[in-house]
Amino acid sequence: MGLLQNIIFGVITGSYIAIAAIGFTLIYGIVNMINFAYGEYLTLGAFIGFFAATTFPLPLPVAVLVAMAGGGVVSLVLARAFFTPINQTGPVPLLLTSIGLGIALRNAIRLVAGREARYYDTATTTFRFDSIPDLSVGSVDLLGGFFVTSEQLIVVGSAVTVFVAIHGLLTRTDVGIAMRAMGDDESLARVRGIDTQLIRDSVWVLAGILAGLSGVLLAIQTNVNATTGFSQILQILSAAILGGAGSPYGAILGAYLIGIVLALSTAFLPSGMSGLSSAIAFGILILVLLVKPSGIAGTEVREA
Amino acid sequence: MSSDNTTQTSRRAFVTLAGAGGIAGLSGCVGFGGNGDGGDGGSNGGDGTDGETGGNDTPDTITFGQPASLSGQWDFLQPGISQATDAAVNHVNEAGGPLDAELEVARRDTAVDPQEARTVATQLVENDDVAAIIGLFSSEINPLWDFLQDLSTPVVTPWPGSTFLDTRGGDKGTPEDMSDDEWVWRTVVGDTVHTSGSAAFAIEEGLDTLGVINGTTEGERSYVDGFVSAYEANGGSVAERVEVELGASSYQSALSRLFEADFDAFLMSLPQESAITALSDWSDGGYGRQPILSDTLTSQAVIDQVGSDLNGAWGATPGQSGPNYDTFEEIYSEAGDADINAWTPPAWDAVQVTALAIERAGEATPEAIQQNLGPVSSGEGTEVSTFAEGKEALANGEAINYQGAATPVNFTQHGNVFGTVSINTAQDGEFTQTSEVSAADVREFVEEGQY
Repeated sequence: MGLLQNIIFGVITGSYIAIAAIGFTLIYGIVNMINFAYGEYLTLGAFIGFFAATTFPLPLPVAVLVAMAGGGVVSLVLARAFFTPINQTGPVPLLLTSIGLGIALRNAIRLVAGREARYYDTATTTFRFDSIPDLSVGSVDLLGGFFVTSEQLIVVGSAVTVFVAIHGLLTRTDVGIAMRAMGDDESLARVRGIDTQLIRDSVWVLAGILAGLSGVLLAIQTNVNATTGFSQILQILSAAILGGAGSPYGAILGAYLIGIVLALSTAFLPSGMSGLSSAIAFGILILVLLVKPSGIAGTEVREA
Repeated sequence: MSSDNTTQTSRRAFVTLAGAGGIAGLSGCVGFGGNGDGGDGGSNGGDGTDGETGGNDTPDTITFGQPASLSGQWDFLQPGISQATDAAVNHVNEAGGPLDAELEVARRDTAVDPQEARTVATQLVENDDVAAIIGLFSSEINPLWDFLQDLSTPVVTPWPGSTFLDTRGGDKGTPEDMSDDEWVWRTVVGDTVHTSGSAAFAIEEGLDTLGVINGTTEGERSYVDGFVSAYEANGGSVAERVEVELGASSYQSALSRLFEADFDAFLMSLPQESAITALSDWSDGGYGRQPILSDTLTSQAVIDQVGSDLNGAWGATPGQSGPNYDTFEEIYSEAGDADINAWTPPAWDAVQVTALAIERAGEATPEAIQQNLGPVSSGEGTEVSTFAEGKEALANGEAINYQGAATPVNFTQHGNVFGTVSINTAQDGEFTQTSEVSAADVREFVEEGQY
């Protein structure tokens, strides 16, 4: 299979990462903290969706909505319990708290739910496009036939829907505009009458909703277990930083760049190095930060 | 209202530090195994007994330690091992116990993490005062090898398949001379044995070229290396090999790369959860060709999740049909309802042979057990199928040769065992044994003295 098929694989991987990376970077841009516990938010969303789909049982689309709502509630409760009380202490204590919270949540999930992997019951249809002609350059075929599955289309469709919704929220609603204002300058936003705590809470809920969606999509493709989200946190963090921490649009760009680099490095690295695709992706992250420390989007949300 | 005057630190420096630190820190959490390269590992742990009665040095209780995969990616295999161990211990106690003492098991979770295993092994020896350790995986033993030698407590384990242990372990055929001993024995056939059987079966089936997809951990690499070595030695060739990271959300890129090559069958060696993702991707992509699965993947969960596309896939596992499998199965089935897997009968054997070593030695010290594991399991003597029979024979002054449930448990000089290899094929929603490669046939693939 050619370059086109691998780019499609990269876009699909990037879509998983992008949905979560938007939530991650919104927290960073507006609450001003790097939330290492965010992977566990994905895990909780995956579990909520799974139990909604199997216990009641609800149709999968409804279970996804339940997971998103549950993710929002969990995110707000955790923020109120662990992060809001120490908002004033600065980003480093918040960062350390989030690392501790992540470890505690991960182990609590493992204790309650066990280590056993659970699987969503889904059916997948594969769509093949084998009539696309080859376009070879050297040993690489740029086009060629490809396939996508219904599951992959849903993931990409969900991601695009999220992008449009987030863009609409940030540009067309009072809450979104207040979020951007607070991201630019919290003091100025406050003196202009914005309830900054309410905006923080809104960000936590929004990030939780996105984590719930991302968790379920990830779990449908893989499984639900105590490390479902944790295993993705490095890629989410990298996408957010690569795109320009605090910028949702940058996070989307960063996520797709990482997804495509992961796919292409797996496809084209020498045989003995194919297991190093993540290292290559992180190498690119370091390279970009060296050249452009503010990330691809290049805009600082708030001046330090 | 919260204040936002918390941004005195340079934002750029913070992002750089937090990002780099986070990646480094989380990479550490993800774990690349421990180096486990030494340290004195504590003392030899006493004599593994409690409460000596009177002046005849007979202990009231003797404890075996069991490092267990109660959590972690292999936890689905542990219920059978725990049940087999407990059933064996009960059976030994019902027969009067080794040295007429009560046998107990101290079980602690390692999550198959080398650093945790090091801590657990130390606790078992130092705190629980165990006489022997019944457990530890390849991924734990290999990085902790020097530590385990310093621990000087016999490790009799049903788990490890690693080729690393092919020439390490056992008493080197000289039970009286402990200077050349290494403290690891395994009651399960090594990867060299069942990958040889699997490779031989693949060649017999006319599968002459192979694609390989495997994870990057010691266990998966070892399995694949063993298979490929035997496969190529018998005329097969590997067209493409792709290594992948574990826990990925998709393996389509790796599969796409693998299936560009021309081969008859592909070998997959991944932990179960990653394998299910990869095999589901394989099914969705319609890549086809003959799947050959590593030993741990011939499980019901795999076929349940991947579905009917997996029909015809096969994998080789250590045979479960030692000379006294029926004896084991009868007692095991009365002890609980955990499924039997390829490591369950070896767990039974590990307890039986270690208890017999104590009985023959007349004491429950680690050194005595180490010196008697070979004599009770191989060579001339009355063949016994259980501890009860062995205890009686030993009381009559006879030499014994324990014949196990999984294999005959004739320890080689390196503390390894040979056994049959089962070929299990996916058919109609379950794996069923469709063929068997005899221990004698497998021996032909293994060089003398190299196992």
